[in-house]
Amino acid sequence: MIGTLLANVPAAPSAFDGVTEALAVLVLLVVFAMLRQDLLRAQVRMYAFQSLAVSALAGVLAANEHASDLYVLAGLSMVLKVIVVPSVVLRLLGEVQVDLAGNRRFGVATAVLAGLAVSVFGFLVIGNVHIAAAGAAGLPVPAMGAAAATVLISFVLVMFRGDVVSQAVGFFSMENGVSVASLVLAARMPLILEVGFLFDLLVAVVAFGIIMRTHHRRSSSLSTETLDQLRG
Amino acid sequence: MQLPPAAVQALQVLAVLCLAPLVSGAIAHVEARLQGRRGPRILQPYYDLAKLFQKETLAPVGASWWFLAAPVVAFTAFLTVPLLVPVLTDFPLPLGYMGDILGGGLILALGGFSVALAAAETGDPYAQLGSSRAMTFGALIEPSVLFVVFTVALITTTDLPYAMAAVDRSSLAQAIRPAHLLAAVAFFLVVLSDTGRIPVETHASTLEFGMIDEARGFEHSGPALALLKWGSAIKQLVLYVILADVFSAPWGLAGSRDVGPVLLAVPILFAKAFGVGTIFAVIDNTLSKLRLYKITEFMASAFALSAVAVLVLYLGGG
Repeated sequence: MIGTLLANVPAAPSAFDGVTEALAVLVLLVVFAMLRQDLLRAQVRMYAFQSLAVSALAGVLAANEHASDLYVLAGLSMVLKVIVVPSVVLRLLGEVQVDLAGNRRFGVATAVLAGLAVSVFGFLVIGNVHIAAAGAAGLPVPAMGAAAATVLISFVLVMFRGDVVSQAVGFFSMENGVSVASLVLAARMPLILEVGFLFDLLVAVVAFGIIMRTHHRRSSSLSTETLDQLRG
Repeated sequence: MQLPPAAVQALQVLAVLCLAPLVSGAIAHVEARLQGRRGPRILQPYYDLAKLFQKETLAPVGASWWFLAAPVVAFTAFLTVPLLVPVLTDFPLPLGYMGDILGGGLILALGGFSVALAAAETGDPYAQLGSSRAMTFGALIEPSVLFVVFTVALITTTDLPYAMAAVDRSSLAQAIRPAHLLAAVAFFLVVLSDTGRIPVETHASTLEFGMIDEARGFEHSGPALALLKWGSAIKQLVLYVILADVFSAPWGLAGSRDVGPVLLAVPILFAKAFGVGTIFAVIDNTLSKLRLYKITEFMASAFALSAVAVLVLYLGGG
């Protein structure tokens, strides 16, 4: 009787595809969690967790393809994005000592629904561009949809929050989405390019650090609400 | 020796009927232990029910016959669902095709609706508050339930809970596919909300302002109250069974109608429900209750999870 129940069931993705897709979806879900999170420090920790998922993704891919440069990439992104960047941002936050919670322009439910809408868009677009042929050596294509959705929801996070830290975290998680996409499309990209991307992120951290400090010194808050009142 | 299908079917209902208070008692005991209290006896719910069945039933002035009928209707509705889901066997019994997952959800909702209607009849402000809140939040969690059902339908091409359980068992790849994991987590959140657990509701609280489901039974007494309490214990066990046997751990069910495996499935059923309940008790002790107006955030996360499950499936694979 069970046989008849299972007769029409489509095959599941292979174990490797399943694990990697689950990790990519985890990256996507963390952005949703960031949308929901009020506390800035918790948001930064979520970013660290998201980066851990991206590094794990690179690690799984490296193990599957026996590619030493991917191991190097996984290790580097682990050190930089899980440890260095979050601890730098947390330290900056510790210095300013105001604003435990970020500034919210819309309610959580609105933000989540907007996030869902843009991720539907991302999934549909990726579903229609037929990149399956290119992804022969990398991750399965559904992970690409998750990556596109991550980038788009990070935009929502940046737009819906009115404080410098959330916007920085949104920018960093956008970079994580791009990393997932690059693992899908061009896993065997030369290592030097990947490392170049990672150091781009460091430049962004420095820039955001300067913005946070300057903004806090001038307006003694992290909220961007007052930005339109500043005069030259 | 093979049991006739009807006997196995009846045993499913009987097992849920008899085990539900035990599961509630065991969870309450674990919860008390986690809080450093000795806690009530594990069998306490049975004593409570026995006491309530000996008391008289009182109805508020002006309440119609529905006030007394509702507990019976709800009790019957909650007891109908075990016919439709894998409780003891992993293969569908004859009446298992009577309704799909949506049918089971409809019957559960019918039970909740009849109780809410009876509470609205009483004229007690708290009971009415509870019934209005229960309906509001019930409607808000419903989209997540629907998307979980869509996910099941896309994975199995049917909407039978037995098929979902069979697919989970069929291979590791099916069990760890992201769509299945997401749907399972989303359903976990649905169960949290439907059984009145923290972060949605404090189920053991006596504070009326935070109450949702609990407030609805305020005016009931005697056997009617006993049926309500027993009914909600049954609903809780049924939801735990669906969570465990359909979505997360559909193992340990009887594969045939032989007496041995079927009877062995009963303690396994209890163990699984107890395991799920322990997770809920730990959540109860680690999280705090959300403010009433923040509950929509919880529902939004459940919806996001289930919607992403459908999205991932849409792209093929998933």
